[in-house]
Amino acid sequence: MKLAEQLSRAVSGGVRRIGQISIQPSGDGFTLRHIDDENADPALLETRDEAAAAREIATWADDGHYRFTKGELSLKRGWQLRLGSAAELHEALDAFYPAAAGLWFAKQADRLEVQHLRDKLNRQTGMYRFARNISDDGAQRLVREVCGPGHCCVKKILWQIDADTPLDDSEATRFDGVVGDINHAAAIPLLCREACNHFVAETRKAAKAEHEAAGG
Amino acid sequence: MPFTPKPHAALLIVGHGSTENPDSSAPYFDHADEIRRQGAFGEVHCCFWKEEPSMREAPYMIDADEVYVVPDFISEGYFTQEVIPRELELDGPTTRRAGKTWHYTLPVGVHPSMTGLLLRRAHDVAPFADPAETTLFIVGHGTGLNQNSTKAIKDQVAQIKASGAGYAEVLDAYMEEQPFIADWDKLATTPNVVVVPFFIADGLHSYQDIPVLLGIEAEPGEAASKREVFRHNPHALRGKTLYYSSAIGTERHLADVILDQVADFDAKQS
Repeated sequence: MKLAEQLSRAVSGGVRRIGQISIQPSGDGFTLRHIDDENADPALLETRDEAAAAREIATWADDGHYRFTKGELSLKRGWQLRLGSAAELHEALDAFYPAAAGLWFAKQADRLEVQHLRDKLNRQTGMYRFARNISDDGAQRLVREVCGPGHCCVKKILWQIDADTPLDDSEATRFDGVVGDINHAAAIPLLCREACNHFVAETRKAAKAEHEAAGG
Repeated sequence: MPFTPKPHAALLIVGHGSTENPDSSAPYFDHADEIRRQGAFGEVHCCFWKEEPSMREAPYMIDADEVYVVPDFISEGYFTQEVIPRELELDGPTTRRAGKTWHYTLPVGVHPSMTGLLLRRAHDVAPFADPAETTLFIVGHGTGLNQNSTKAIKDQVAQIKASGAGYAEVLDAYMEEQPFIADWDKLATTPNVVVVPFFIADGLHSYQDIPVLLGIEAEPGEAASKREVFRHNPHALRGKTLYYSSAIGTERHLADVILDQVADFDAKQS
């Protein structure tokens, strides 16, 4: 089944949320809003009608910073996006949360491939090659200091340090990828199947600091 | 040649992207929008090295069983020969894996139709400059990672020279290797100079670093997305009249070059 059809079926089955996006069926189409604007007067929201607007809405946070990682808890409010088809819904959601719907459907079908941190770091080249020198303790600390809703990322972490080394228990590792107070059956969780580039960049810095602290 | 639509296939445009500003990925999305508008593929997606979706996430967005992967890069090199095949797990021009067939084309920058785009951009930025009194620079980064990265630029320079466009000189120059673009006024002997950055996006290099090397600005300015307008040409500088273009990849017709690369791939394989 195509991803758009799977999305349509999920919404028919009661799914109403992904990340900070509220999904409401409307006629043959769908209306998306920020979850905090779910019950807002439509007259007070800027209405857009094309899926491509999602990229524009998702690019900048209210304070003007660039949202290079879309799992960041900083989606702007004040808009609604009216979409005429499931294909447009898929396109818009892939702009708000790239690949998130497909990752969730793959997880449900048990065909999601997770990449653990050591595998991710060991395939870095160029300036990021040094990141592979991070200690396990250093990597565990970074997860606590970089990931999770406390640091504005609202993805559920699926990866471990390696196949035999799970992540330590923390707020970041306990987070389930669903934002706000909602029945979890009504949400598509945001999944983190491998460490992001921001995490790799932070790992490189931490690995350098460890190296220098050891007198390297 | 008109592109024969592929309604049952997906196009995956691969770009570099940036964690600093959205200007680095904007052209890729623009090219994707243009190709969607043309209805050339059943699906059109983008993925990135430094942004989301990552190359490893991209397969989860794609329905089609046949996928054309086009590196929206200006040259063959480190990314097209090492990073992209590794991240997308490609083992040659065509890879069959888990029910999908992946076709991996050459990067857009090495396609012969880039020459026409460069000439169009050079004309648009300096429409009243007489080519006979003008030096055209095609500028790249220059890097030790892979010598092929300069080859695409040298090839374009040779093709522009052979095109009969009439420029007094056509030169390649680089940010980090000789001949340095910082020496543009010494390299050019004509009163007019047109500089076209051979980059896909108006990212840090073309929008902030090269203007400093040219002497247009004393220090790197804000990112393109933070400004109201592009710089005003021409610049009277170092005794010459300098015209500086935005990156060649911001040209709308680059979408056609992406389709040209797909058509060339099919022609070679058949």
